[in-house]
Amino acid sequence: MIEFRGVSKTYPGSSRPVVNDLSFEVFDGEICVLVGPSGCGKTTSMRMVNRLIEPSAGEILIDGEPNTAMSGTKLRRHIGYAIQQIGLFPHRTIADNIATVPQLLEWDKGRISARVEELLNLVGLDPDQYRDRYPAELSGGQQQRVGVARALAADPPVMLMDEPFGAVDPINRHRLQDEFLRIQGEIKKTIIFVTHDIDEAIKMGDRIAILQEGGILAQYDTPENILASPNSEFVSSFVGADRVLKRLSLLRVSDVELGPPNGDGLPRLSERMNLKDALSELIGAGVERGSVVSDKDAVRGTLSIETIQRLSHGAEQARGE
Amino acid sequence: MFDWGWVSNNITDEILPALIGHIYLSFVSVAIALLISLPIGILVSRYRKVYPPVTFITGLLFSIPSLALFALLVSVPGLGLGSTTVIIALVSYSLLVLIRNVVAGIDSVPEETRDAARGMGLTNRQILFRVELPLALPVIVAGIRIATVTIIGIATIGAYISGGGLGELIFTGISRNFPTRVIVGAVLATLLAVLADLTLLAVERYLRPWARTRRA
Ligand SMILES: Nc1ncnc2c1ncn2[C@@H]1O[C@H](COP(=O)(O)OP(=O)(O)OP(=O)(O)O)[C@@H](O)[C@H]1O
Ligand SMILES: [Mg+2]
Repeated sequence: MIEFRGVSKTYPGSSRPVVNDLSFEVFDGEICVLVGPSGCGKTTSMRMVNRLIEPSAGEILIDGEPNTAMSGTKLRRHIGYAIQQIGLFPHRTIADNIATVPQLLEWDKGRISARVEELLNLVGLDPDQYRDRYPAELSGGQQQRVGVARALAADPPVMLMDEPFGAVDPINRHRLQDEFLRIQGEIKKTIIFVTHDIDEAIKMGDRIAILQEGGILAQYDTPENILASPNSEFVSSFVGADRVLKRLSLLRVSDVELGPPNGDGLPRLSERMNLKDALSELIGAGVERGSVVSDKDAVRGTLSIETIQRLSHGAEQARGE
Repeated sequence: MFDWGWVSNNITDEILPALIGHIYLSFVSVAIALLISLPIGILVSRYRKVYPPVTFITGLLFSIPSLALFALLVSVPGLGLGSTTVIIALVSYSLLVLIRNVVAGIDSVPEETRDAARGMGLTNRQILFRVELPLALPVIVAGIRIATVTIIGIATIGAYISGGGLGELIFTGISRNFPTRVIVGAVLATLLAVLADLTLLAVERYLRPWARTRRA
């Protein structure tokens, strides 16, 4: 668990804090997304965890221990670090790049090369093909994958990721996000993930910390709760006017109570679709209801626009109370 | 005009020693200059404030005409004529370009590479030796190339103050009005410079295996 306790940062030569009395907890095995407009102190907050930046006030605890209990370099070897600019070492092969921290920790050679192979497979790069290449010989998306593999190398319990998929095109970004969520499903790291993209935050976050200008924590909650009940003008305008639809995108068709099957001539909806896409299908087809089917084409029931509406409206009412 | 007979008669007792002396002067000078420039360059990359005074002093040294510098150094008590004085002069000529290239090399390391290194827990010393210097090396070698070629040229003037080397052939050739000596000295000095240039160019390429881009 990572705990921010009254953490503030004022850079030298400036009178205004860029992070202001930040207090929240990141739970084990969860992705906590720091999101907010440019310059609101996300990167600064994240870099105080591994002490690339020292706070002006407050403290950060990792598993109950202040992160100042050991030297900065030792601390950083036990926290994964991945950044938007990737920062692969251009003069080292992909294998050597990934092996950076294990080498610092003096693992033996056999263990290191086995780990490199495992990680390359994990991030979807064929070890035989990529191990001995240099970073310049990889595409941007492949470099991002190597950056993530490098951050995971020594199996750190905690990972810091600053816009790790920021430098790739939207299609690749979605693919990398999906892949990373799949990987996280296996490795269950405690992750602080920085982005300025609210859609990425909603997709990646188990919990989202929304920061506003001056590094003030505006809201900290699950994506569902933030979308259902933004606690301020700032948050509701930051998450956008389409927050009801965004919230629907968090729910799958299979999560909803369906009506009885009534197959004739209704458009088919996969049960793995999210509700936003399902709604879009129904509106597009100009019908009130669709037939929900499993991967194997077994009919599960029917989903109506009315059901979706009720779900959204229920959340709105809950907010009013 | 060109006396081949003289060449074959004097190859072992005059030409070869002059060539070896020249190589010695140049090599030792570049080596010493490098030993001075590396720490200064690293210091400058850490404390930018010392860059202007360093550039000023080494720039001043570089701009003194070589003959004047030799004459000046000879008059320094304890130095006098000889190869030590020549080496001091040659070293002082190479400092500017070497320090500049060390700094430029370290500056060329991308900031995010340095940040990633720090973020993964490399110490400052490890960042210097494992990241910054290896990445700076090709630029540093490029500086060594320029310094070496310059020094091989200027070293010929060292013979004027009894420093030895190929300049010896040239100067005696002039004073005895014997062009063969002058030509042999000049040609060998030129060849030496070209050879050193090509060798160091190969080294520079060899040090950048990562620059080949075979796209995925
Ligand atoms: N080293 C520094 N010295 C002084 N001010 C800084 C420094 N680093 C950042 N700042 C300032 O602190 C504020 C917060 O910066 P930070 O990088 O944490 O923002 P961010 O939320 O990550 O923004 P972005 O989304 O653009 O990456 C900005 O106003 C920035 O100008
Ligand atoms: Mg940032």
